[in-house]
Amino acid sequence: MKLKSLNAITFEEEIYDNGQPCLVVFSRKNCHVCAEVVPMLEEAAENYIDSFGFFYVDVEDESDLFKRFSLRGVPQILFFNNGEYQGKLGGLLEEERVVEKIEEVRMG
Amino acid sequence: MKKNVWLKKLKKSGWDKMSNIYDIVIIGGGPAGLSAGIYGGRAKLKTAILEKGTVGGMAATTREMVNYPGFKTSTGPELTKAMADHAREFGTEINKDEVKDIDLNGEIKVIKTKKGKEYQTRAIIIAVGSQPRLLNIPGEKEFRGDGVSYCATCDAECYEGLHVVVVGNGDAAIEEAMFITKYASKVTIIVIHDEGTLDCNKLSAEKAFKNDKIEFIWKSVVTEIKGENAVTGVTIKNLKTGIIQELQTDGVFIYVGMVPETGFLKGKVEMDERGYLSCNGLMETSVSGVYAAGDVRTKYLRQVSTAVGDGATAAVAAERYIAEQESFRNYVLNSDKPILMAFWDPVVQESLDLLSVLEKTVADHGDAVNLIKIDMSRTKMIAQKYNVSKVPTVLYLQGKDEFTVFDDENCIAKLDAFLKRNI
Repeated sequence: MKLKSLNAITFEEEIYDNGQPCLVVFSRKNCHVCAEVVPMLEEAAENYIDSFGFFYVDVEDESDLFKRFSLRGVPQILFFNNGEYQGKLGGLLEEERVVEKIEEVRMG
Repeated sequence: MKKNVWLKKLKKSGWDKMSNIYDIVIIGGGPAGLSAGIYGGRAKLKTAILEKGTVGGMAATTREMVNYPGFKTSTGPELTKAMADHAREFGTEINKDEVKDIDLNGEIKVIKTKKGKEYQTRAIIIAVGSQPRLLNIPGEKEFRGDGVSYCATCDAECYEGLHVVVVGNGDAAIEEAMFITKYASKVTIIVIHDEGTLDCNKLSAEKAFKNDKIEFIWKSVVTEIKGENAVTGVTIKNLKTGIIQELQTDGVFIYVGMVPETGFLKGKVEMDERGYLSCNGLMETSVSGVYAAGDVRTKYLRQVSTAVGDGATAAVAAERYIAEQESFRNYVLNSDKPILMAFWDPVVQESLDLLSVLEKTVADHGDAVNLIKIDMSRTKMIAQKYNVSKVPTVLYLQGKDEFTVFDDENCIAKLDAFLKRNI
């Protein structure tokens, strides 16, 4: 499942207004680690339709969003619930680690 | 018998799966794997490449490619995309998937993938390449993505106007350090060698020495990466004096060599102490039908130009291996008469003499046996199968796995008597 792309405006809507538990992966096109992490998230997303949001931010197109969270590199997965920041995971990751964090965020 | 019973029986026999057997499955879609895919597809073999990440592998992350013959300036993504398109045009599948389990025993090898697919294949080419080596120091794992990076292309921009430390001094370390100076205000390179000694190529070294944003700390190693939410500094130890100093920095880029990704092959394929696969000039590994190509094998030079050569060799060697197996099945295992196999070598005169004597012996016995001559200089697979290492050797095959060996000086006389008794 393709992840929904966010820009500065839709980011506000999805993360803060809707407030559903979700993750946002910050990625860029020419980063090979991202190319491994993003497909893994696309697959994981299939198991969470309607129960957990999966979003994508291209840091080249949306550099302001990237700067706002003062991130040091990609890929970075940020987790939110009710519009509140719940932590992040960076770099090359196993699916199990992401699923663990998703469950943690869902449980509140 | 009802039709569905028939179908079930057929399925049970593995008939439906047999038709899906691949000739070659290539694990890894970097230049070595793609080149093997081009040769495999071109030879009309059913070929698939499995790639878990980016097609093009490590090469696809290289910004500038200046020494691939015929392309004075190219980029990694450009060059590897052309290779992938080339392989696809010849009919090779490139599938995004990762190996979960691998069984190399038997003539048909089985690969199970993360996506739940099962590949049955006659030959495998391992072209998985290598990954950046970790320093394994405190803070490295903790701050990965928060100031610790292994990819300047991905992350250098985040360090606009900041101070960055680069660990390492090979080609990658020095070239990436120079790239980072486009953004960072200062780059400090930590070098394990004495002052002035870098492992990278001379041209890059000269450029780095001239770059006024780059500073070097010699004869030193990083022992710890420090920070709270993100990296704030590193601890550096001078190997000569033992003096430990703290250095403030916003990011650490680590380029201390590579390690092969061969963990999943431990105990299955022979490898050297660092995990690289050892193979011969035909790219054969210790397992018949399993080949290695590119950075993953023990070799002198790891470059795109050497990887594509490995891939081509491995694919052609695999093609010949498959053909040998095929003809072996057709002539030997499906033969209606008993088989006499003579292993010979064109440089061993004794074996040549034996061949002509054998032909006469077979004729004397009314051609009741099929004589098969196996040239050991060209094929090793059959000799390995029957544990033959000496030339000449003659085998009399009673059944698929049952045979009698004749390999001493009196073998003709013994064979003659044996045939008289048995035919």
